Amino acid sequence: MSGMLETRLQVGPARFRVASAWSQPFEQLQFLYRDYPQPDGDFVDFTVRLEPEKIWRKYFRPAVHIGGDFWLPDAAPLSLDQGLLAAEMGMNLQMALGWRRHLLLHASTVERDGKALLMTGLSGSGKSTLSAMLGEKGWRFMGDEFALLSPETGQIHSFPRLISLKNQTIKAMQDVVPSGRFGPLLEGTPKGDIQHIVPAKEAIDAMDKPAKPALLLFPRFGYDKAIREMGKSEIFVRLTQASTNYVALGEAGFNTLTNFVDKVPARAIDYQSGEEAQELIDQLWNEFA
Amino acid sequence: MSQRYKAANAKDLILRELDEMSLIFHKTSGITHVVADPIPAILEVMEATSMTAAKVVDKLAKNFELEDALDIENFVLARLDEMCSLGLVELEAG
Repeated sequence: MSGMLETRLQVGPARFRVASAWSQPFEQLQFLYRDYPQPDGDFVDFTVRLEPEKIWRKYFRPAVHIGGDFWLPDAAPLSLDQGLLAAEMGMNLQMALGWRRHLLLHASTVERDGKALLMTGLSGSGKSTLSAMLGEKGWRFMGDEFALLSPETGQIHSFPRLISLKNQTIKAMQDVVPSGRFGPLLEGTPKGDIQHIVPAKEAIDAMDKPAKPALLLFPRFGYDKAIREMGKSEIFVRLTQASTNYVALGEAGFNTLTNFVDKVPARAIDYQSGEEAQELIDQLWNEFA
Repeated sequence: MSQRYKAANAKDLILRELDEMSLIFHKTSGITHVVADPIPAILEVMEATSMTAAKVVDKLAKNFELEDALDIENFVLARLDEMCSLGLVELEAG
């Protein structure tokens, strides 16, 4: 990777090498991941490359193509202004397609007293925002994208990458998170406006500490406040849909997920505001955790 | 009705009951099946021997209470055909 700037960083158990043909996303990454540990030794799990699709696109209308160990052939390149987003998408892609040491659940996770609260749902359910909010209110933020479920212990391992805020949630978090933890505002991305925030320092410092899963929630934003019970088979099917590597893990994935569904209480919650969600979470956490 | 069926080897299947549905993980294909009654019961009575639908009904009747009103043999036959398409049961040649 001659001529490219290169940094290595560790998020939870995963070690990344990120190389960039441009200095802008490289410097933004170095700033936002300044509190994260460097991996020990030279070995990394994944490499992500931000590079021009064609050499002249490095300078003329620069377009960032995401390369790496795992990649999608039809991923559209992003503009250089969105290079940071490309790096984050690249790291997520490596985890989603390549990680095998844990069952990956597309869920946000926060921890309190050694016990983990997981929230999963479709994009727009609010799981990322809720985890970011709770992370500023006494909970330890463990991740807003992937919960790593251990086949050996049944515990959840932390993957506290940058928190990706979208559209109207950006303003709400500006009121509770110090400005020094915000990345640049990325306008007009394929997912709308995006701004990354660095998790609280305590979350980064404790990212090697797993937690026992105690409650699973399926939040849904924009509906009247409600709590609904769910059947175990519905929970199981939704979690297989929320996992990027369930099929790849085979029998280990099946045993890990069925044990999780057997043991961890789960509820669907509907809410219309952060305050309502907080009330429901407090109520259910007191009941089950 | 004289067709004979053979269930997948029990050691290749992991059965987990959840609620009204059960899960079957088929080790050889790596596929997880979400199934309802009486699929687990049919697999249980078939064990490793090949048998006709009528024989499956006989064995089910010994272990479970069957509804008289139901055309049970055709019902079981339909389930066996579904299980064939899932790869949980094989139709014996000849």
